[in-house]
Amino acid sequence: MEKRMTSVTLKHSIRTSAILAIALVALTSFGCAQFEQRDKRFYYRALWNFALRENLKELDIEFNGVDFGHSNLYEHLLLTRGKDVPAIEETARKETLRFIATRPTLNPNEEAIAPTYMKLAWKAQNTFDEAHALHRATYDIYVSDLHDKDAALRKVLVFYRDSAYAITSKHLDHRRLDQLPYSKTFRQKYPLFNATIWAYHYLQVVVYDALAAAKDLPAKQKAVEPILATYHRYLEQPPVQWTFMPMTGELSPQFARDYPEIANIFDNLHMMHDTISDILATDLLPTWEEKRKEIYRITQSYYWASADASNPFVIHGDDDRVPHQHPAQ
Amino acid sequence: MATTIVSHINTQRSEDTPVKVSVFMLAVLCLLVEANNAGALDHDNLDPNRPIAIEDAYVIPKGEIGVEGGLTFNDRKEGKSRFGFQPQIIYGAFDNTQIEIMSGLVTEPSTVDGDDKSGDLSVAALYNFNTETVRVPAFAARVEVGFPTGVGSKGIDTELTGVMTRSFGRWRTHLNAGYTFLGSPQQNERSGTYRMVAAVSYPLGYPMSFTDTIIVNAFTRQSDLKGQTNPTGVGVGLRHQVSSRVVFDAGVGTEFLGPPDRSIFFSTIGLSLGF
Repeated sequence: MEKRMTSVTLKHSIRTSAILAIALVALTSFGCAQFEQRDKRFYYRALWNFALRENLKELDIEFNGVDFGHSNLYEHLLLTRGKDVPAIEETARKETLRFIATRPTLNPNEEAIAPTYMKLAWKAQNTFDEAHALHRATYDIYVSDLHDKDAALRKVLVFYRDSAYAITSKHLDHRRLDQLPYSKTFRQKYPLFNATIWAYHYLQVVVYDALAAAKDLPAKQKAVEPILATYHRYLEQPPVQWTFMPMTGELSPQFARDYPEIANIFDNLHMMHDTISDILATDLLPTWEEKRKEIYRITQSYYWASADASNPFVIHGDDDRVPHQHPAQ
Repeated sequence: MATTIVSHINTQRSEDTPVKVSVFMLAVLCLLVEANNAGALDHDNLDPNRPIAIEDAYVIPKGEIGVEGGLTFNDRKEGKSRFGFQPQIIYGAFDNTQIEIMSGLVTEPSTVDGDDKSGDLSVAALYNFNTETVRVPAFAARVEVGFPTGVGSKGIDTELTGVMTRSFGRWRTHLNAGYTFLGSPQQNERSGTYRMVAAVSYPLGYPMSFTDTIIVNAFTRQSDLKGQTNPTGVGVGLRHQVSSRVVFDAGVGTEFLGPPDRSIFFSTIGLSLGF
C-alpha cells in the first residue's frame, strides 16, 4: 500500500515539475536576450581572510567607503542618463564623501546602492566583484602574520584566474583603450568625481609597497598613516590635474615587479572602471540597451582573460611599458 | 520536513529536551560569533524562516558554507504555546545551486500533523536560473525531500517550490509558490498541500548604512488536515549584519485565519554564519 502511494507521489512530483518547468520557460522566453546566469563565487577560503579588517581597521574602513563610490556613481549616471552635471558632481559625489565619513566597518551591499545598474550589466559587475575579492585577498595576506606570503599570493592568483569572469593578467595598452570613440567623456564632463575615483585607485594600489616594507603590524599601521592623510586630502581637493589613472607600477613598483600579473589585473580593473564610466556618460550611446551592449562588448572582448588570444589591446613584452603622465605621491 | 511556511512549524508540539538542545545550539552559535568577529553572509539574501517564511531567488555563492539556526515561539489560539529550534546547513555546492540540510525540533512532538514532524531531516536543492535584469525577474526552483526521522513520521515527503524575485528600485518583491506531497499521510491528513508566500524586502539606511533589511510577508497554505480552512497570515522580520560572516534576525507574525489551533502570535530569533 505504502509502495503504491510512494509511486503515486512520485508521478505527481514528476508531473508538477514538468508543469513548473514549462511555465518557467514560457514566462522567460520573451526575455531570452537578457536571461543571464548569476555565477556568484565565494572568495578563496583561508586563515588570512579578514586579516585587514581585524588588524588594520583604519585602512579597511577606507576600502569599505571606496566600495560605495563606484556603484553610487554608476547608478546616478544611469538614472540621469549622464546629462545632469550637478547630480553627479554635487549630489552623488558628496553622498559618497558623506558615506566615507561614516567610517563604515563593513563593506556595503552594492546591489542596494546600484539596483538599476546591477540589472543592466550584471556580468560586468560580477567581473568587478571577483577582482575586488582579489584586491581584498592580497591586502589580507600582506597584513596577516603568514610567513610565506608569496605562496599565498600565488594561490589566490590561481584561484582568481580559474574564474570565467577573470580580468586578463596581460599588460593592456591603456593609452589605446583610452581612445575609444567615447573615451574621456566622463573625466571631461565630471572632472571632480573622476578625480575622486582616481583617488580611490591611488589608495588601492599605493599601499602594497608600504605594507610590504613594514616589518610588523605596528609598523604597517604607522606606514599607512601618511597614505591615508594624502588620500583624504585628495578627497577634499580632488586631483583634477591628473591626466591618467594611477598605475600600480608607479605607486607600488616593487609589488608590480614581484607580481606583474596581479598588478596588470588591478590596472586593467581600474581601466575597465573608467571605460564603463565613459560608456554611461556618453551621448553616443543614448539608450540603456546600447550602453549595456557596449559594456558587455568591451568586457568580453577587451578585459576578460578568456579573450586574450584575440584581444587587440594586449601588449606583448615589458619593453612596451610606457609610464603614464601621472604625478605619483 | 522544513518548509517555507512558518506556520508549518507552528503546528508542532513538544517536551523539555528539544528546548535544552536549542539553548545549547544557540550557545554554540554565540561562541562562533565571538570567534569570528570579522566577517560574508549577506543580510539581503533571504532564506526561509530567517526570520520569516520567504525564499528569494538567489543562492549563496559557490563554495560558501552557511550555518543557520533559530529559536521559535508560538502562541496558539487553542492548545499549549510551543517552542522550537530550526538548525540548517547551506552549501553553495555548484554554480548557481545551493544544497540545504535542515531539521526542526519542537515541543510536544507527538501531536504534530502534516509533513513537518519534529526531528524530520530534510535535504533540499535550490537552483537559481538567472540573475534579474531590466526586463526579466530572477527565477529559482527548489526541491526538498523530507525523511521520516522525526517523531511519528512516516513516508518520504517531497516539496516543490517556484521562486521569483523582482525589484523596483531598492524594493525587492518575492513570490514563492509550492506544493508538498506527503509520502504517507496519516488519519485525516491531506496527501498534498499547496502554499503561497508573497514578500517585500527593503534595505534600511541608504545611503549611510547597509547593515539592515526589513521583510514583510503574507502567506496562505492548505491546512494539514482535511476539512479545515487555510492558515493565512502576515509576518515582519529584520535581518541585521553583525559582522562580515554573521547575520542576526528576528521576526514576528500572526495567522489571522485558519484552523482552531492556528498561531495567533509567532516569533523567531536566529543567527546565520557564513564562511
